[in-house]
Amino acid sequence: MHQAGIRNTNTHLSDIVDAPRVAYQRHDFTLPKTLALQNPNAGPRLRLRRLPGPVLAGALIPAAVPVSGTPPGRRTPASPSHGPGGTASASPSSQALHPPETTPVARSWRSASAPESSTTRSEGESPTAPSRPSRCSRARRIPWPRWPGWALGARWEHVMGFSNDISSLLGNPKHAPRSIVEDAKVVLKNVEEPTCLKAAWELIEVFYADKQSQAWLPERLVDWLASYDCLLSTTEGTVYSELVDLQKELATLQVIENYQKYWEGISSALAVGWLHIVVKLLRLHGSYQLDQLGNRETENGLVEAVAVLVSKMPRMRPELADGTLGECFKTKPEFMKAWERWRGQIAKLECSAFWIQCEHDQTREGLRKLLQIMLGNTNSIIDASFNWMELYGLEGMHNLAQKCMQLKPSSQSHELTSLMLGIIGENTEVVLAECSRSFGPWMVAHAIELLTIGSNGAETLLHEEQYNLGGISIEELYRLVYAQVLSSHALTWQASEIAPVYLMSCATQGMRLLEILLYKQPVQQNQILLKTLEICRLYDLDSISSDIMKIAGVHQWKHGRKGSGVFWLQKAQDEVRLNRISQQLFDYVGKSISGNSFKQWEGLIELLGQEAKTVGGLDFLHKYRDFKKSLQQIKDGKASDAARQAVESLILLMKNPSTPQKFWLPLLHDSLKLLRSQPPLLNVSQTNLLLNKLQELSVARSRPDYCEPNLPPEALSAVRLALAMNLGRAFLEE
Amino acid sequence: MEKSLVTLQQDAHCSSWNYCAQRLAVGSVDGTLSIFDSSDPSSSTFTPTWKSKVHDACIFKVAWVPPEYGDAVACVCADGSCSIWEEVEGHHRVAQPHGWTLCKHFDVHAAQVLDLQFGFCLTSLKMIVAYSNGDVKVYELQDPLELKKWELQAEFRNVIDSLPITGKVSCQSASISWNPQRVESQQPSFVLGFNSDLPKFNSSKVWEFDEAHQRWLPVAELSLPEDRGDQVYSVAWAPNIGRPYEVIAVATSKGIAIWHLGLNPDTDGKLSVEKVALLSGHEGEVWQMEWDMSGMTLASAGSDGAVRLWQSNLNGVWHEQATLETTSS
Repeated sequence: MHQAGIRNTNTHLSDIVDAPRVAYQRHDFTLPKTLALQNPNAGPRLRLRRLPGPVLAGALIPAAVPVSGTPPGRRTPASPSHGPGGTASASPSSQALHPPETTPVARSWRSASAPESSTTRSEGESPTAPSRPSRCSRARRIPWPRWPGWALGARWEHVMGFSNDISSLLGNPKHAPRSIVEDAKVVLKNVEEPTCLKAAWELIEVFYADKQSQAWLPERLVDWLASYDCLLSTTEGTVYSELVDLQKELATLQVIENYQKYWEGISSALAVGWLHIVVKLLRLHGSYQLDQLGNRETENGLVEAVAVLVSKMPRMRPELADGTLGECFKTKPEFMKAWERWRGQIAKLECSAFWIQCEHDQTREGLRKLLQIMLGNTNSIIDASFNWMELYGLEGMHNLAQKCMQLKPSSQSHELTSLMLGIIGENTEVVLAECSRSFGPWMVAHAIELLTIGSNGAETLLHEEQYNLGGISIEELYRLVYAQVLSSHALTWQASEIAPVYLMSCATQGMRLLEILLYKQPVQQNQILLKTLEICRLYDLDSISSDIMKIAGVHQWKHGRKGSGVFWLQKAQDEVRLNRISQQLFDYVGKSISGNSFKQWEGLIELLGQEAKTVGGLDFLHKYRDFKKSLQQIKDGKASDAARQAVESLILLMKNPSTPQKFWLPLLHDSLKLLRSQPPLLNVSQTNLLLNKLQELSVARSRPDYCEPNLPPEALSAVRLALAMNLGRAFLEE
Repeated sequence: MEKSLVTLQQDAHCSSWNYCAQRLAVGSVDGTLSIFDSSDPSSSTFTPTWKSKVHDACIFKVAWVPPEYGDAVACVCADGSCSIWEEVEGHHRVAQPHGWTLCKHFDVHAAQVLDLQFGFCLTSLKMIVAYSNGDVKVYELQDPLELKKWELQAEFRNVIDSLPITGKVSCQSASISWNPQRVESQQPSFVLGFNSDLPKFNSSKVWEFDEAHQRWLPVAELSLPEDRGDQVYSVAWAPNIGRPYEVIAVATSKGIAIWHLGLNPDTDGKLSVEKVALLSGHEGEVWQMEWDMSGMTLASAGSDGAVRLWQSNLNGVWHEQATLETTSS
């Protein structure tokens, strides 16, 4: 039905517009993707959550971000690296992809039972087993890629990949399912409102990270504005808000071309480059009505000519999405050629005589204004746009920004506006400050990755180690700050282990902070303790691991769980405390060898006996227990065998370097009966060994730190006499 | 976003979190010591699990013993005595969920205890005690498993020169802060300042243990010549996660000074010092200061009823980052 109109137009205007004969179908037009009415309920959204961070107020981190497949947190330390050449797993693309999520890990965290950590983390492997070479220990050696040997191209590509990953993580606009018959009067689609965070991220990407976009920056800005102009509506008037208003009225208007706002809306949409909307609105023009065609042929021809011109606007960009209007040109010469031709066509149309024949005043004025905008008439453009950001996007040149701002000064500043100001001013510090103020530590920590690649000045500024910051770079500082935010929450600290990954990517100070954090973990609950030790093992933090085991050991020992206490102290190789424990046990065993309560201690010594081989002290206690048992048997009358065993035990004990010196005399004193026995139980060499030990002991007694055992004063002389007599008898025997 | 973690009674006078912030010890005006615990580590609601009157007078300071030595706190009492209490459950005791017992009681002798802090050294646990007569005593734990046996290791006064002090010195308060770094290569050190009537006692000095001669030496003085006599209310040594210098906060009547302390001694064995900021904001006395675990944020509480958070910006300029005001007077 409209074909007639078009054909008509073409017969008259074909010399002006050599556009292909587009088979125009009324319902065929898609609108800028995210240009949308606010609908907070449409689909999953990115939620911003405030965490109880100890360090900085306003800690915003993106949460509840669905990542395909596995729960991201779980994947983090073990996920294969993303970076080209398989760099460390701490490369930005692999790690930053996992902003803390809530659901899956939250569940496992809350319901986790004690064995959970060891079974899921390292199958069949003790959590305190000797460390295997792990990905994460590699991560420490290559903290966060500094791109040492990377070709610049690869680096750009990698950063862009990283940026795209983050961008998609921040949420893609969800479109409402397209109905088969679209309402022609709906120019703006109901889609989910994008977030400022994503808008800010993409803005930084456009200016710093996307090398390709430098050539077609204006087009990138047009795209950006199409996506995010709605966000600016909160603080100032925008084309978007105007169109929203217009759409509301479209439903009720009968002769829309008589209506001033209709033409203003089209002008505005054209000024910011939303070609679809322009064309769609133009084709709502009354002259397309079947019953009108006869009377308004010329008028309709003009409307359609402008619509065709708009839809054929040359655009310099690598590609155009399907259904996007305009003609795409990849190189500047091609674009310039097409641009000149297109402008020529506009100029021709502008001067054509058909305007005189157009009787409808509003249409004539409206269309001519559109032509002026397309020709770049500044006044028309200023009229059509609402704020300087829109105007700037249009002009698309850095040094025009100031002018644009003067032309459309803002009363209130939107967070995105402030960010844009920093970017335009090429002031990295302002950009960072705005990121930090408006979007929180997550944004700063990650945006730095884009800022550094986009500008040498920024790279120097952000990577330079500064005395004022404690010898670290701004980049590391912001990453540390974000890591602390992550560390302050159980989900991102332990359950998903993201915080350690971030910390270890801070080359200078991250490890110390991780150590402090690990040291401050509670040890009372086994499950948390094992998890903490597992993190120590992953990052080869042996010393802190030993401290934690020490704390656990002392806690258990002092809270009546002696066996567990000794177990952890042995793991910690804490000789000092183990020796103290064996002394306590020795005293006790010595006093109560025949008592009933010995049974209780015997069990403990038995337990220690198997584990204690490597660590001194308790090994001795085990032998001492055997020795005491033999002595007991002698008392009970089972003489000869038991006596020989007792002598063997005694010699073993005295030879063993792990036997504390302070026990030598008590041991010998206990053995007086053996030493005095006739015929002698000890041969010459055995007796000499004991005499030597006694001599050593006499020397040691003169030292100030010697601790006198609790024995009768004549003990030493009694032992010496018994040994001398035994030596004599042994000589005679041999 | 504020959430109440714990509700203390009116007579609570001082409090201290343990190393992992899972337990809170609170000292009261009437000499009662209370311990608050959370039911499980993920919960952040704390309820009292043990309470007992441990002194006859007000407890004005509680300090946790480092966790390697058990769950124990020292209480400093207004009558000048102090005591160490420990949670122990032995095999011979009846199963009791939280059995806190007295390990050690230090009676009042010549002077009252003003402050007491435990410092972790590699070989042993050291305890620094500052007295009202200006004495500083360093005690050492003899048995790592028993908090009963303490031995006096050193005794000195908070002065750089060794000139004899004539007349009686009277100190109202003292503040000790250990260097929190646990590095094997480093000797134990701490900073100490007094609030006394003798100017040369007051200024904060950094003391370091000289292993070779088994003695403590003053290695730095944190005060400008014109401020030397200023009474010190509180000192706090910041954790260092990799800075090429240490950071120490010193609160006097003039404000909170932030000091940088060099890491390498000069030929005299002294460390270089630089005052980088003087922070004003508190009206009246600063009672207590604490650093966060990265040493980037300082929290201070004062008689004006406010807690203030201080940070340095990218240019190294210190400023007040936030203020937490008490809601009721």
